Amino acid sequence: MTGPSLLDELGIALVTGILQGSVYALVALGIVLVYRASGAFNFAQTEFGTTGLFAAYAALVMWGWSYPAAIAFGLVVAIGMGLLTERLVVHPLRNASRVTVLVGTAGVALAAVGFQFWRFNETLIMTMPRIKDAFFVVPVVDAPVTVQQLITLGVLAVASVALALFFRSPSGLAIQAAQQEPTAAELVGISVRRVSMLTWAIAALLGGLAGILSGPYTTFTAGFLTFGAGRALLPGFMAAVLAGMRSMPGAVAGGLTVGVVEQLGTLSMMIEIPGARAMLLFGFLLVVLLVRPQGIFTGRTVTA
Amino acid sequence: MTATDDTTVIPAVETETAAAAGDQTAADERPAEVGLHRDFRPSGAGWLARGIVWAFLAWVVLAFPVNAFSPFHVGVADIDVASLAAIYAIGGLSLNVLLGYCGQISFGHQAFVGLGAFVSAYIVTDLQLSFWLAVGAAAVFGGLQAVLLGAVSLRLTGLYFALVTLAYGTFAQETLFGITALTGGEGGKPAPRPEFFASGYRYYFLCLGFLVLVLWLDWRLTASKAGRAMAALRENPRVAASYGINVRGYILVAFAVSGIFAGIAGSLIAHHDEVIVGSSFDFRLALLFILMTVVGGLRNRVGVVIGSVFFALLEEGALVSMFRLGGFFEGTLGLPTEFVSLVVGPILLVLTLTLYPGGIGQQVAPLRGWLAGRKFDPHAGSGHDVEVSDVRA
Repeated sequence: MTGPSLLDELGIALVTGILQGSVYALVALGIVLVYRASGAFNFAQTEFGTTGLFAAYAALVMWGWSYPAAIAFGLVVAIGMGLLTERLVVHPLRNASRVTVLVGTAGVALAAVGFQFWRFNETLIMTMPRIKDAFFVVPVVDAPVTVQQLITLGVLAVASVALALFFRSPSGLAIQAAQQEPTAAELVGISVRRVSMLTWAIAALLGGLAGILSGPYTTFTAGFLTFGAGRALLPGFMAAVLAGMRSMPGAVAGGLTVGVVEQLGTLSMMIEIPGARAMLLFGFLLVVLLVRPQGIFTGRTVTA
Repeated sequence: MTATDDTTVIPAVETETAAAAGDQTAADERPAEVGLHRDFRPSGAGWLARGIVWAFLAWVVLAFPVNAFSPFHVGVADIDVASLAAIYAIGGLSLNVLLGYCGQISFGHQAFVGLGAFVSAYIVTDLQLSFWLAVGAAAVFGGLQAVLLGAVSLRLTGLYFALVTLAYGTFAQETLFGITALTGGEGGKPAPRPEFFASGYRYYFLCLGFLVLVLWLDWRLTASKAGRAMAALRENPRVAASYGINVRGYILVAFAVSGIFAGIAGSLIAHHDEVIVGSSFDFRLALLFILMTVVGGLRNRVGVVIGSVFFALLEEGALVSMFRLGGFFEGTLGLPTEFVSLVVGPILLVLTLTLYPGGIGQQVAPLRGWLAGRKFDPHAGSGHDVEVSDVRA
């Protein structure tokens, strides 16, 4: 054995990157949704995920609930956290500058991390069983893939379609109207307040899905999705930037792209460089922001 | 301050809390208030009371950590915590220049500080050069990297810049601090203290000296044309530019100053710990700096220092043991001491943002004015929200 060739490695990186990228895409969808509704960068987006994951972990492992019940509980907790964030932080700061709101959401994220450390300090490193613990090898490129990763990709597909359909329903149209012209929307009888709550609930649901699905990939600690092993906050934001912070299909495409770019750091020619994945992400973000700050996957829905 | 048509009264990041008396800027902005108190002179008893409080403060800062005239026993570990508090105050002031004066948030401050730490350790350990040279080099490197990042930020709006700093922090943490030649790998990099300052007590005074230096530089910065230019460009860069202010130039100056302060803080942390590892400069440190600055009160020097000291003591568990709260936190709440700051800090942050935009600086403003020889005014420092519209972010 002389080791795999570059082409083989690229194939594996592509498959792994797309699967990892589906987590980023779920995070990015939530970020884009909140940005369109509140004009805020939501640094708590991934902590909705970690909190949901911890709730699901508690239900499944500590209280012995069934897996579907645990997932449902985790998602409910995530949505509750999203609504609380809207009530306690975003709404009171609605007239503040965007940087202030950014600091506020970062505070929510840190509070969540602190809460996780507090309630789960007996077992600092946790593992959770997968929905179905199996894996297989993708034929052509020899990439090992777990069923859990495939489920994540499937959930992403379902969530994208569901969101697309939702935005054509009356509630979805109300959200779009309130985002584009809040005053006019109020005048035709749309409660901007309720729309804001609804948006944050959906965003938190997406974050919760990302957390609960990606947690069983590996071991996790408090702050798992923000700065832990499953770090998805920065990639999620990068995906949202690629989508011009506005396009939902763009967020999905951006998430998958960022996943692949990050996986290039695992190629054997990068093995000498410490933290090659972080370096690639930083370089990629700089190039995108300096060359095309308006995004790449912006689609036709973009409005300046 | 400039105001445009869609102005709103904005708390927190935009609130002018420097009004907490004493500051040069505050005096400029509140001539009416200064005039009101100009004729007031404290009586003899008033001066005595102020003198006693001043003496008490001086004792707490100078003598208490070194056990002089102290009814309590302060151990060797506690003096190290006191040094760390002074160092964190420098770090908080560093972030304050960016976030407070310029309105640019940095989520990568752990990298600013960390680079200074490793540069300093490298110079002392590998090159065998003096500590003073190492501090200077750390400050220069800190300033350089900040200017480079700042040059990038000139092309970006406020929120996107936050992402760049976040990515830079992760990159520095994993790539730069992963270079074994610079950081010594897993075992860490030794960074011995200079011989004269080897003892914890002397090192504390060294840190205190650097804090005074940084405070003086910060004061000169805000009192100069550069400080007023930064205030103008923070409120509205376009209006500032139309008044002939070199917006880009002054943003770069702010980055340089912030980086220099961070480099000094990093160098002091390195020689404080004596052995440093890359993993100690993680994202949590950056968030801790944000907590210190915002809870302390943006643009308020005294507030930021108090906030930094508060969080340093809380982080190291000194505050909990000082007030014997260990039983309450660990017993009643089941919260281990090392996580107290992680739980309490964010709650304070959110409360500060939504209810007390001036932070600690606003709360101590009445006392500060009284100590400066004015009447005790319980409303000092509040109700001076500046009208701004942040068109940049």
